[in-house]
Amino acid sequence: MSSHTFVQALLSGILLGCFYAVMALGFSMILGVTRALNLAHGDLIILGGYLGYWLWSGSGLHPLLLVPVAGAALLPLALLCQWLFQRLPEPKELSSLMLTFGLSLLLQNFMLGLWRGEYRIIASEPLTASVRVGSLVLNQGRLIVAAAALILVAALYLGLTRTRWGRAVRATSLDREAAALLGINVDEATRTTFLLAFGLSGGAGVLFATLHYLYPAGGIEVTLLAIVLTIWAGAGRLRSVLLASILLGVIETLTLTWSGPRWRELVVALMLLGSLLARSGGLARSRSR
Amino acid sequence: MALLEGQGLSMAFGGLLALRGVDIAVEERQVVGLLGPNGSGKTTLFNILSGLLHPTAGEIWFGGTRVTNLRPWQISRLGIGRTFQIARPFVHSTVFDNVLVGVTFRSRDHVSRGEDRRREAERLLATVGLAGKASALAHTLSLGERKRLELAMALSTRPTLLLLDELASGLSPKGREEVVRFYGQLKERGLTIFAIEHSFRVLARVADRLLVLDQGAIVADGRPEQVLGSPRVVTAYLGEEE
Repeated sequence: MSSHTFVQALLSGILLGCFYAVMALGFSMILGVTRALNLAHGDLIILGGYLGYWLWSGSGLHPLLLVPVAGAALLPLALLCQWLFQRLPEPKELSSLMLTFGLSLLLQNFMLGLWRGEYRIIASEPLTASVRVGSLVLNQGRLIVAAAALILVAALYLGLTRTRWGRAVRATSLDREAAALLGINVDEATRTTFLLAFGLSGGAGVLFATLHYLYPAGGIEVTLLAIVLTIWAGAGRLRSVLLASILLGVIETLTLTWSGPRWRELVVALMLLGSLLARSGGLARSRSR
Repeated sequence: MALLEGQGLSMAFGGLLALRGVDIAVEERQVVGLLGPNGSGKTTLFNILSGLLHPTAGEIWFGGTRVTNLRPWQISRLGIGRTFQIARPFVHSTVFDNVLVGVTFRSRDHVSRGEDRRREAERLLATVGLAGKASALAHTLSLGERKRLELAMALSTRPTLLLLDELASGLSPKGREEVVRFYGQLKERGLTIFAIEHSFRVLARVADRLLVLDQGAIVADGRPEQVLGSPRVVTAYLGEEE
């Protein structure tokens, strides 16, 4: 592999990783605060993608303008899911699997009924062009999606570290009982987390639909990706999720460039297993537990 | 009326009755010690008083307000602070940030300025002797330092009543002396303290009153010298003679 090809693959991998991060963050946040595996996470992203596609095909607006619209559209669903989650019997880790699996099936059937099973993509003109940076050629769509993903992650990071509600969410994610004993309304923090995660997923769905084909059952792959990245990075850890996503993107792209698509999934799986064996608590494991 | 009152508190976990109609009263500015063998229900009682568990029967009043079944954050905001037997700071955060959380989220001064909150967090760290560790990550602290950090976190909510769960356990004799000194300081500040300790010696020196739990029921209640010499307490710890 020449150095030029290596740099080209490296950059493409970083862009892909930024996109992966925004795909996984909502899942990771909900797991961090509630210990619930949201099996409908990928379906929420696909739903956001369909909403974006529907608005884009009807209005012709730039897809980036539809990111906040699709995000906002999922907020009522966030409130409903949080309301249902609060009423689940213990242990919530298990009962939430039933709830979110049911939600996943419902969403898939809802999307199938509304948009049929045909493949759809936001094939917006400005996203299909290529950009030349020196001797490197990058896909403009991937570049824009990565920039939008980074902006979303940065906004979330600022919100979580600089605001009162953000501190409440972080403390609740670290230790729910200890946070409550310090006067944090952990129910409110959970509601905020659901709103942020669903909003982020809706917005991420529009970005997804500019790069990948949408179909109603397509959420499963996204959920699996989010599970893998969250296990690898550690639940609720924003910076670690971003780092893990970029690493995954780079390794995937380098493997693809070096050996073609045959080895990509095997190499990624081996790398994940190896790193988990080496660091059993994920990239951001606690050294004290 | 006592600052904290519990009447007929019972807690069942399936078929296991962890508390059986416990009555407690903690007067304002008193240090009340809670003793009992392992599994006697001490931590369950603390979990109920701090809202982490809801009793299957009984009522709790704090400062004349009924607090039975309130959520832990509501109870914290009413003025009950708590530490755990195994200290539970936010291990990935700095010592300073751990204390700042409580200062930020207590109910009474939502509007206080960031600078004031920071100064108060620094003052609390100085109180427990951790000023020099403010920027250290909590997981790097020793057991004794973690316990002191948790005490500072509990104080950060400006409680009127502190529930302290085995502050002295696992510490060296020097560490236990320090804990005795902390009890004295907290009492001087006018705080009411309800404390679980395994060390009779520590409680005998700091407590105004002792309660002894055995198999989920109060078996002794009185001044330390009365309680520690009581045959029922000896039986609770050593068992009946054949």
